[in-house]
Amino acid sequence: MAMTMSGEVVLPADKATVWAKLNDPETLKNSIPGCQSLEKTSDTSFAAVAKIKIGPVSATFRGKVNLEDLDPPNGYRIAGEGEGGVAGFAKGGAVVKLSDDPAGTKLAYDVEAQIGGKLAQLGARLINGVAKKLADEFFAKFAEAVKAGA
Amino acid sequence: MPTLSMTVNGKPVSGEAEGRTLLVQFLRETLRLTGTHVGCDTSQCGACLVHIDGKAVKSCTTLALACAGASITTIEGLARDGKLHPMQEAFRENHGLQCGFCTPGMIMSAIDMVNRKGTDLDEQTIRHELEGNICRCTGYHNIVKSIAAGAAAMGKEGLRQAAE
Amino acid sequence: MSATGIGARVVRKEDHRFITGKGRYVDDINRPGQSHAYFVRSPHAHATIKSVDASEALKKPGVLAVFTGADIAADKIGGLICGWMIHSKDGSPMKAGAHPALAQGKARYVGDHVAVVIAETLAQARDGAEAVVVDYEELPPLPDMTLATAKGAAAIHAEAPDNIVYNWHLGDKAATDAAFAKAKHVTKLDIVNNRLVPNAMEPRAAIGEYDDGDGVFTLYTTSQNPHVARLVLSAFIGIAPENKLRVIAPDVGGGFGSKIFIYAEETICVWAAKKVGRPVKWTADRTEEFLAVAHGRDHLTHAELALDGDNRILGMRVSTKANLGAYLSTFASSVPTYLYAPLLSGQYNIPSIYCEVDGVYTTTAPVDAYRGAGRPEATYVVERLIEVAARERRMDPTAFREMNFVRQFPHQTPVIMMYDAGNYPLALKTAMDMHDVKTFAQRRSESERRGKLRGLGYSAYIEACGIAPSAAVGSLGAGVGLWESAEVRVNPIGTVEVLTGSHAHGQGHETTFAQVVADRLGIPIENVSIVHGDTDKVQMGMGTYGSRSGAVGISAIVKALDKVVAKGKKVASHVLEASEGDIEFKDGQFQVKGTDKKAGFGDIALQAYIAHKFNGQELEPGLKEGAFYDPTNFTFPAGVHICELEIDPSTGATEIKKWTAVDDFGNVINPMIVEGQVHGGIAQGVGQALAEQAVYDKSGQLLTASYMDYCMPRADDLPSFEIGMITTPAPSNPLGLKGCGEAGAIAAPPAVINAITDALGHEDIAMPATPQAVWRACQKRPSRLAAE
Repeated sequence: MAMTMSGEVVLPADKATVWAKLNDPETLKNSIPGCQSLEKTSDTSFAAVAKIKIGPVSATFRGKVNLEDLDPPNGYRIAGEGEGGVAGFAKGGAVVKLSDDPAGTKLAYDVEAQIGGKLAQLGARLINGVAKKLADEFFAKFAEAVKAGA
Repeated sequence: MPTLSMTVNGKPVSGEAEGRTLLVQFLRETLRLTGTHVGCDTSQCGACLVHIDGKAVKSCTTLALACAGASITTIEGLARDGKLHPMQEAFRENHGLQCGFCTPGMIMSAIDMVNRKGTDLDEQTIRHELEGNICRCTGYHNIVKSIAAGAAAMGKEGLRQAAE
Repeated sequence: MSATGIGARVVRKEDHRFITGKGRYVDDINRPGQSHAYFVRSPHAHATIKSVDASEALKKPGVLAVFTGADIAADKIGGLICGWMIHSKDGSPMKAGAHPALAQGKARYVGDHVAVVIAETLAQARDGAEAVVVDYEELPPLPDMTLATAKGAAAIHAEAPDNIVYNWHLGDKAATDAAFAKAKHVTKLDIVNNRLVPNAMEPRAAIGEYDDGDGVFTLYTTSQNPHVARLVLSAFIGIAPENKLRVIAPDVGGGFGSKIFIYAEETICVWAAKKVGRPVKWTADRTEEFLAVAHGRDHLTHAELALDGDNRILGMRVSTKANLGAYLSTFASSVPTYLYAPLLSGQYNIPSIYCEVDGVYTTTAPVDAYRGAGRPEATYVVERLIEVAARERRMDPTAFREMNFVRQFPHQTPVIMMYDAGNYPLALKTAMDMHDVKTFAQRRSESERRGKLRGLGYSAYIEACGIAPSAAVGSLGAGVGLWESAEVRVNPIGTVEVLTGSHAHGQGHETTFAQVVADRLGIPIENVSIVHGDTDKVQMGMGTYGSRSGAVGISAIVKALDKVVAKGKKVASHVLEASEGDIEFKDGQFQVKGTDKKAGFGDIALQAYIAHKFNGQELEPGLKEGAFYDPTNFTFPAGVHICELEIDPSTGATEIKKWTAVDDFGNVINPMIVEGQVHGGIAQGVGQALAEQAVYDKSGQLLTASYMDYCMPRADDLPSFEIGMITTPAPSNPLGLKGCGEAGAIAAPPAVINAITDALGHEDIAMPATPQAVWRACQKRPSRLAAE
């Protein structure tokens, strides 16, 4: 089933700093909720393992993350797909756009994702709430990293 | 694994349970009281309904360890000295069951209904109160009849017990 | 009629164990040394399985084995079968793809079985399954028939490149087209028969066991027909020869068709028991049941009815697309064909009928028989067409039905069936009287004063039950004969065990069958035990579905009882020293005609075993007889259901205010049980009409996979029902029984929708008529209230 979500946050750093952090595996790893490992497999791709709980379903997702449509320092599309074993799968992407803001840099994101298996069967009614919560967690941590690096 | 003690159908019992062990698993697998059934896993169907300290609870979404020290009644604990509970008798007399799978939960739910709502139950009340029990066989028609009759019989039984 | 004989409302013998929690369902059984199976299921609707990596899973604590499709292929375990051959219009056989018990390189629906993990405990098996890594390459999901039959759609099975399993037809196309050519009025309808999940309250379960001492497999399974399961597992899947495979179906918590079929899970449990050297148990959780049990219905139909100037029916044309799911389940092919189109004549005199059906593969769970199986779909087509035609012709719907009813029997329809007995006008009249239709207008005005819309809907259904005779079904493509067997074992003191090939999973056979035996032999009902559900006890049987246990199963018992009485007479002739022809058997006594010399049934049974009073060379000792019974025709239960309901146009909520059912089931053995069957059937039919629907999204994910999302009818969605009966005995079996198990589910959906459309004043609503759908329908066009 499909899920969409969009939002924006203002980060307290300039565009170049935010862009650098968006491409830094260590920052991404620390920011992605439940991320257990994120290894660079090429300049624009990573192998990732994340443990996520959605309602009654908790699972370890193993998958690939690719950075596409790179437009430094204005944005990219971050796309991924992960198999969560018995729990099902998730795949999708987020278009991330950076723009200048009086308080630093505005990051706008537009997520489109597909989930399947047990996630869709039992977690469907929870998925939007969980996705929002995961996004909030991500940006909270990411903002910290940006602040520290600014 | 922690050991768990509770009273089930008036008898003290104990056994091991993991943190994730559900009460229904403890009843069915550890105590081998298989009259309590699992029909849906999401506490919708009521086949797993038991009484914990006198209240109706769905045992498929209750952790066994959370019931330490509690007094639990299952379908196996209703008949006394070989005599059926009036609600059991009413289900039989009124053909309130077909495949029998939902029946233990229905009977336990019905007794709880009487405990909360009294022995004079009209059809509308019974149907509304059965919100948490699903039956696929009977169309509920005879379950509703059974519960009304069983409630009335519990009333008479209560009077008789009070008189004795 | 005795207090326990045929026709008596005998309280059920089996109930004591169920109301005391002593029922014994498969999941209640634990076998020594038992291990647990958990299935890894595809999360994708359609995908190539590139690899399955079990190495991490095998390291998990308690994991005994992980098996994949490669393992069953290596053991030459055959695929699951579809036991009914359907030929397309051009004579070609249906295009059936293989149906392996564990996927071979490709997954075809969400829930398809990819691997199985076997471990010491269920929790360990689950943990092991979490660690199995499957590499999928996704293929296009095709979760509905429109997508699956679109040009260029990917083939789900190579055998059916366009995803069409068959295009089948029945009836005389030329004659039907000619009837339409001369019609004065044609009623046309597009109809969706919504996809349902059977939802027996007991999820499916299995325990496989292997005794390597004597090489015997045992399978405990939630089956409606353990002998058919053994036959298929043995002869087609190749687990073991039948004499080395015992199948036990103990108490089964409801079936409704879904437990007829032979599934992957039980196949794997019994196969794996030998592989791991331990009993293997599997019990579905509810979501697995939603994903992988055979679903029901799912038709898209265009139907037309031709009338002459006097509103007599000239012909019917029906074109149906039937979703068969990703694989052909055990009887899937027959449901939208021979169990469907032959019922399109309904209760009516229709000179010509033509029906064509496309069976379609989609990437969804297999679709097979669910309560009624084809007949609810046919009845929905017929009774919606009839109602709408009457409305279009501005005729009272009962008068329109009356003038088109079949009134003479036997009646040969243009679509195979020969109706042998019935009285359709009487059922309609009885129902209308019981329902007090005359005062409906007052009730409607009263509702309207409260701002509610009240509607009245009729359904005059017919079904074909018994599902026999063998030669007839064989000529239509069935892979087996559909007779039934019985064995009557009389013990020396006159108690009786009856072994039957029928199987009860809620129907109360232990009572009704015993009533027949007690009645026929004149013995107390307590002295009769009914034995079923174990292939080691009952020699062979065809099981319970299609409302066949009375018409076929009991008839076999009656035939065996006749043999017992005949043998008893021979014994009695020696005991009473009279000629065999002078012995009468009545009320449990063998008596010499015209004398007071007699002996009770028990005494004669004892004498049969003691065998002192006769020459054992001329007359065999003992008293045990068996019979196989094959009826001469289907049976044709029929009746009229009337649904009266009220809609709140501000919320779309529909409340059924009154339900009247008048059914003709032929003779009835236990009216209490028969009424119970009708109640349950109506509830399932109302569920289809108002609430239930299995929903796959565009990516092929099942969104209704628990009771949080699939709406089951609950007690306060339903009224109490008024049940009446009329009787025209079935001529095709000795007791005149017709069958009652499916009637309610067949009759109810059109009764509800006819009532809703009556209330709305237009026909624009599909099942399930949820509050949202009804509310929309109320907005779409002026309601009756606004129009008036």
